[in-house]
Amino acid sequence: MISLIFFLFVGVLLFLSLFLLARRNTRPEGSSSALVEARQALKTLQAGLLPLDLVKRVFAERDWEYVRAETPRSIHELFMAERKAIALLWLTEVRSQIRSLQRFHRGAARHYARLNPRLEVELAMSFAALTGACMALQALVYIAGPYAAPRMVSVVANVAARACEISQQSLSFLDTARLGALGGQPTDAATL
Amino acid sequence: MTRATRRIDVAQAATDLRNRTLAEIPRSLDRLIYLASMRDYNTGLYYHDGLASRFTQEVACEALADCHREAFSQLVGCSLRELVSQMEGYIDSTHTSPRDFVAAWKKLEPYRVAVPVETDPLTAQLLFSSFKIALAILEARLPSPPPQPSA
Repeated sequence: MISLIFFLFVGVLLFLSLFLLARRNTRPEGSSSALVEARQALKTLQAGLLPLDLVKRVFAERDWEYVRAETPRSIHELFMAERKAIALLWLTEVRSQIRSLQRFHRGAARHYARLNPRLEVELAMSFAALTGACMALQALVYIAGPYAAPRMVSVVANVAARACEISQQSLSFLDTARLGALGGQPTDAATL
Repeated sequence: MTRATRRIDVAQAATDLRNRTLAEIPRSLDRLIYLASMRDYNTGLYYHDGLASRFTQEVACEALADCHREAFSQLVGCSLRELVSQMEGYIDSTHTSPRDFVAAWKKLEPYRVAVPVETDPLTAQLLFSSFKIALAILEARLPSPPPQPSA
């Protein structure tokens, strides 16, 4: 009986490891599609999620002041629910795009000899700080609403914008390298 | 036509559109709805006969798309107070009863099809959410309906 339980346990373990292996991203690190994904994440962050005007609109306190002063209580609840949903969506999107960039940089650091180590370390620290700040802000917004921590919102937006700048700077050599490779010219960028 | 020449033509066509047509539509909400109505839902292309006759169909299409994006981003930048005020002005201009207008917009959500192509989903969601709140505010401001005569 004990041996049966033991073999069942081993079987379940094997099945779980196979399942986890199958779920792993099999795309090679440093591939063109990973580069395209990273570029897309950068574009989404810089043009879609981090422009100051958009961040100000999502967390605009004067909208709340207007609603509180000039509308009935039922509207207050609707407003808070709607803005909270948008704020959480913004944070989720920022986190997801940052994760995508982080994944690319982790892979790229192993493949490209021309990456600047100082920039990569700075970037790794920014990613870690951002992930923590986003999670804390998500919890705060979830519990206390979208106007709970306005200073933290601007900190997250600024750190994310800075991380995007560093990432762009760090990957700038890849553009010409990839174009050269596409044109069939030799490139030394993808030095292993 | 080179790419640079085409860009210049598009910029000229957009200026022409702003000066002739859009100058007479002061509110960005009205401009957004007007420009969205110039777009063919099946192809996503914009049509404006007057502009196409002065430039080309392709240039007119790009100019309309540029102005559409501009109106959209102006509306997204509006505060909730401004949006409510723009909607009040728009209701007045349509000569519809405010009650019917609010009921129709709440049910059909026509603003969802007025968004330019390739708009960032979060920005679109923010505007939809603001419309939803603005409609609730307008509904709350409606005078209560007259009592039904008893049979």
